[in-house]
Amino acid sequence: MSKRVLVVDDDPDIITFVVTVLEENGYSPLIANNGEEGMAKAVEERPDLIILDVLMPKQSGIKMYREVKGDEPLKGIPVIILSGIAKRTFLRSQEALTEFGGQLVPEPEAYLEKPVEPEELVETIKKLIME
Amino acid sequence: MAVKKMLFVTQFDELWFDALQSLMDLRKSGFNHVVFIHVIERDKVAMHRGRGYLKDEEIKLREIANVRFIDWAESLYEQGMEVGAYMVVGDLVPKVVSAAREEGVDLIVTGHHKKSRIEGLYAGSEELEILQRTATPVLIHKYILPSGKVNNRPFEKVLFATDWSHESEKAVEYLIGLKEVIQEIEIIHVASEKSLDGSSAMEVQKTRKEGKKKLDEVCEIFLAEGIEAKPHLYVGDVAEQINRAAHERGASMIVAGTAGQGSLKKRWLKSVPGKLVDQSEIPVLLIPLHSEATGN
Repeated sequence: MSKRVLVVDDDPDIITFVVTVLEENGYSPLIANNGEEGMAKAVEERPDLIILDVLMPKQSGIKMYREVKGDEPLKGIPVIILSGIAKRTFLRSQEALTEFGGQLVPEPEAYLEKPVEPEELVETIKKLIME
Repeated sequence: MAVKKMLFVTQFDELWFDALQSLMDLRKSGFNHVVFIHVIERDKVAMHRGRGYLKDEEIKLREIANVRFIDWAESLYEQGMEVGAYMVVGDLVPKVVSAAREEGVDLIVTGHHKKSRIEGLYAGSEELEILQRTATPVLIHKYILPSGKVNNRPFEKVLFATDWSHESEKAVEYLIGLKEVIQEIEIIHVASEKSLDGSSAMEVQKTRKEGKKKLDEVCEIFLAEGIEAKPHLYVGDVAEQINRAAHERGASMIVAGTAGQGSLKKRWLKSVPGKLVDQSEIPVLLIPLHSEATGN
């Protein structure tokens, strides 16, 4: 059975791009348009990997990431952050949220800045999902 | 009611990032989530004779907005805030109203988009159109002072205009929710000259006395919440006098309740909120009475 990858992004062009790359490489994509939907789908589907954007309506990737890593059944799922937001900003935001009384969360398994080449994306996915 | 989540409407003309920064005082009252919206007006990309739909133009405009929002979002994320963004094609008012509803924001912040006199006669300004279609308070944020400086603490000294209506009562509740950021409230009631027509000196004095008593009662509500409050009674054209009082008292913002959904008459003739927004040099916060459930 092919591995399932949850793609959480509000940009239809990015979703099309990532879904195409995933399907061409034998993965089954699941789609969500924001962090709220993404979290619901993650709980329901327990994907093998999550590809997560940061700046989205309703709930950002920053908040969803914290929820995933704070959830016992989900926290082992590797997450690739795929965003225009710099990695340094992402990490600082997590530090700031931890300072405000939140839990300490680990760094994401991979961080790719948009735009990403298909080869780089596939290579990163392969590294994180053991076939 | 505290302002925790804000919809920040920008067409990249009136409002920039410094306008948002000037509202950061709201963090003291729990503000931690901002949602940006940029609406690409349909006529910029819609069908043009011989050229069809300008998809490339749409992509370009979206990406320009995206680059700006990413830059703004990075600053906010690093402060531990939650940020979201919409870049959509369509008409400004419905897109803003729908995003506000979808996100469940506590405040809509917009610049003042003045229409021509003819357009204004039948359509009013876009921000008033938004107000007519939402239950969410709308801040028309004129954040650059006449001196050219940024109004950095717009909530610090509020001029609250009351006409004793239910709308005004709702505005009182809203302001109490902001007590962590408001230092002082100047409460004003304007008696229109028309209401005094034909009155004797005694009747005018009676009106003054009654007005003052009601103002004192509103003051007491704020004082009980730890907000410094002072009453003022003015006479004359309502919008004009409110603006005059704001100037005289050195107010940093004008606040008023409004019926929101306007009657036909209000839309054809300039309403008080409309005049206030047009004439004021400082931010104007308008708080509608009606709720989403009333079918607005």
